[in-house]
Amino acid sequence: MSAMLATDPGGVPAAGEGGEPLLRVRDVVQEFQLPGRGTVHACSGVSLDVREGEALGVVGESGSGKSTLVRSILQSPRPKSGQVLFLGQDLTRLRGKELLATRRHVQTVYQDPFGSLEPRWKALDIVAEPLVGYGVGDRRSRRARAAELLEMVGLDPAVHGRRRPAQLSGGQCQRVAIARALALQPKLLILDEAVSSLDVLSQSQVLILFERLRTELGLAYLFVAHDLAVVKQVSDRVAVMYLGKLCEVGPAQELYAAPRHPYTSALLASVPSPVPGRRARAPITGEVPSALDPPSGCRFRTRCPRARDLCAVEAPRPRTVNQGHTVACHFPIDQPEAAT
Amino acid sequence: MTATTPAPKGTQPEGAGEGAALLEVGDLSVTFATDRGTARVVHQLSYSVGHAETLAIVGESGSGKTVSSRAVMGLLPPAAKVTGSIKLNGLELAGLPEHEMRRHRGRDVAMVFQDPARSLNPTMKVGEQVTEAIRLQSRTAKRQARQQAVDLLGQVRLPSPERRFHEYPHQLSGGMRQRVMIAIALAGSPKLLIADEATTALDVTTQAQIMDLLLDLQTEYRMGLILISHDMGLAASYAQTVMVMYAGQAVELAPVGELFTGVRMPYTKVLLDAVPRLDLPPHSPLPVVSLRAPDLTRPAPGCAFAPRCPRCADDCRQQDPVLEEHENKHFWACFHPEEPATAPTQAAPVREAAGPGAAVPGAPVQEVRQ
Amino acid sequence: MTVQAPEPLTRPGTLPAAAVPLRPPRSRLRTWLRRRDLDLWVPGVILAALVVGCFILPLTGIVPDPMSGDLTQVLRPPLSPGHILGTDTIGRDVMSRILYGGRTSIEVGLAVNAIGIVAGGLIGMFAGFRRGVFDSVIMRVLDVMLAFPALILTIVIATYLGASELNVIWAISFFSIPAYARLARAVTLKMREQVYIDAARMSGRSDRAILLRHIAPNVLPQLGTYSLLQVGIVVMIEATLSFLGAGVGPSQASWGTMIATGQTYLSTNPSLVLVPSAFLFVTVVSLNLLGDGLRSRYGRA
Repeated sequence: MSAMLATDPGGVPAAGEGGEPLLRVRDVVQEFQLPGRGTVHACSGVSLDVREGEALGVVGESGSGKSTLVRSILQSPRPKSGQVLFLGQDLTRLRGKELLATRRHVQTVYQDPFGSLEPRWKALDIVAEPLVGYGVGDRRSRRARAAELLEMVGLDPAVHGRRRPAQLSGGQCQRVAIARALALQPKLLILDEAVSSLDVLSQSQVLILFERLRTELGLAYLFVAHDLAVVKQVSDRVAVMYLGKLCEVGPAQELYAAPRHPYTSALLASVPSPVPGRRARAPITGEVPSALDPPSGCRFRTRCPRARDLCAVEAPRPRTVNQGHTVACHFPIDQPEAAT
Repeated sequence: MTATTPAPKGTQPEGAGEGAALLEVGDLSVTFATDRGTARVVHQLSYSVGHAETLAIVGESGSGKTVSSRAVMGLLPPAAKVTGSIKLNGLELAGLPEHEMRRHRGRDVAMVFQDPARSLNPTMKVGEQVTEAIRLQSRTAKRQARQQAVDLLGQVRLPSPERRFHEYPHQLSGGMRQRVMIAIALAGSPKLLIADEATTALDVTTQAQIMDLLLDLQTEYRMGLILISHDMGLAASYAQTVMVMYAGQAVELAPVGELFTGVRMPYTKVLLDAVPRLDLPPHSPLPVVSLRAPDLTRPAPGCAFAPRCPRCADDCRQQDPVLEEHENKHFWACFHPEEPATAPTQAAPVREAAGPGAAVPGAPVQEVRQ
Repeated sequence: MTVQAPEPLTRPGTLPAAAVPLRPPRSRLRTWLRRRDLDLWVPGVILAALVVGCFILPLTGIVPDPMSGDLTQVLRPPLSPGHILGTDTIGRDVMSRILYGGRTSIEVGLAVNAIGIVAGGLIGMFAGFRRGVFDSVIMRVLDVMLAFPALILTIVIATYLGASELNVIWAISFFSIPAYARLARAVTLKMREQVYIDAARMSGRSDRAILLRHIAPNVLPQLGTYSLLQVGIVVMIEATLSFLGAGVGPSQASWGTMIATGQTYLSTNPSLVLVPSAFLFVTVVSLNLLGDGLRSRYGRA
């Protein structure tokens, strides 16, 4: 890596191996006011951890609150309540320069490859922008570092670096966005539906890139997506969200093979698999309730085949069912059934 | 093998249903004049769909799958040049003037589009849009048509259809809007329904519901169904026949079972292997693929996939492979197809490992994390 | 209604595999013209010729004085020896009055829009970016300004200030500034929501840097293409003012004044009205076509 980045102005202590998690989200609540219609309960008390070098996948459908969660972590806007501890510092309490200094270690890659890049700039300038923003190096060293980053993501600085986003494909734009995100040597990369807008083949290549970068740079990922298979491919652990709450968190392989929460199970059973033959009928009926008026108690109870009276009265708290595997359900699936 | 001889009609795949095909597309080609030259968007496409058959057309964006279906519907802009034959129940649709095409749209063939938010009129009540569709197809009195519309909304399993009738599109969820779109498409009782990425923008649980609905309606109305998608899983789960398109051409066409267990065309194999699978463990290896997309304005001689094909040989670059029936009902356009022995994709051997007992949290992961 | 919390719609596989998406064009004639850039060249050449004629030719001395009339050469028709477009009621050469009048029109057109872009653009950008009280106050002031009937107020202001080119510029600017401010604000509001602005903030850029490096470069081109259409309108307004006597005054040549004085001779010497009208027409149409052509190429920010 370039020598100019040796000094870290942030002064943030590094997490020890197996010690404090890199990111600790505690009871984050986020709400939006819709004038005349009430409050949207986008995120209602979500807690999760991301350890150093770990890939945590967050999966959920529309209305699950996963994108709101990401924005709350980044403090744009600040969550209504809760804590977001990054390397021991609570981001919700930081302002101005302090927030900026800590936030440099968390970078984001967004869903829209073209929309997240300044359309009038060349790729090299786009990648170098974080270095400008944080006042790192001089113009020449920034250009060198930007070229280095483009190579790291599989692009040719001499060819692609000079192009503007409109002259690049979706996959190439996303690589530029990744290179930009790596410029400040972050510890945590938030990938917000980062491959969802890409073609199948482009997506596969970007996923290969993510894997390589993670092992080479020791990055931690927070991978948010709606595609269950993609999330499984990328993640070590997976968290499932529904209507602003966490349903289940656990190791990827275990969660997918033997889901405990009825929603996780239904979700997995809904995914068409490339195994020929007519599949079973849709396991889940009805529509997602409105986030303006979520069901009392357990929010999934209106569509849950296992719901009973208790579910309407009391919201289930996360319970540990296995090492590192928690479920928020009063009546979780006991016998692990293999998902289709 | 000689290049460019179009597939003779006799070898076109027959539908799983009745003898005569509902839709027969022969040598369909579509070109556009663009700023950078003439783009060959669809090239010599031939396929057929039977009366109660489901055909899945699979490909990435730019493969020509959407344009070819719009050609069937006669919905291409005037700048598009269409050649070839499109026969619906024996009637030739290609080249029909607009006013004639309008008589067939909705009554014989209908389409459900990807984004219901953009396909529905935001200023018109949902029920009125369905009513309008009904009245366009037959001379029904308004009151009667309204009642039929409510019935139709119930048939597409829209909850509380009488109430929803009076609502606007923005008041409905994505899944509900798509049901309205389907109702509009069914207003004329079409014989052929084309679903163009109809569930792509929906959540996976909603997708499952809509797909169930489409298939139930197909059985009830005895329609031919064409599913256009980039999702191989969708094709595998819901279709009887699958056609894979690349750079405007059909590169493989087979009954669904044959395609997935005995994939031959290298592009299809790459497509299958590149998609993460639920039945594979995390951090599974994915195939490395060159991302040079074909330039439709400059079609190179030989196979369009040659620059990126792992099995490419010299003859692939010189001659254009033609879609031909090689095995029973299994067509492919390739000089060096995959061997049947290696054709089954990764799923089979690994499925044992993914069974319930084998899940040990943390163990497979740590190897990667060093 | 089932309301979802703000979540992006996810559409896998919607981006084209090829680098630049192919858009099916609307008609073949348009494509033919565009591919050869004719829709830019034709109006561009016309306007360039106009500029050369109005600003450069007079410097060479070929063009006679537009204000001094030769009373022996009154009301000569076009194609008379020595006077290509004829002479007017007091013997002044029509061609030279056209050229000097064109200069007036172009100067007014450019000046008004330059003032609009700079002043209006700055006001609009700040209002759109900062929002809050500042934005509300500014917008109300602009609303009031735009609520006045434009042409009438322009005439009143111009008459009040007195007949001169500079006063005409100020009078028309009164409406030009709010128009640009609204456009700049609208574009800024849209830009603010773009993901790359978020990304710039995450990259540590300050508000000022974002305005300067991200917002302004995207706002200016839109103001620019808008201005091309506006120049045509301003030229028309100046001609109207002069026609009504509230414009640059008798001391200066103007197409509007020429039409005004020529109208009484419409039946006998129609060229006195038709010639300046034709020039006005060609100028405004060329500006509009050029604006259209540029907008279809670069207008989508």
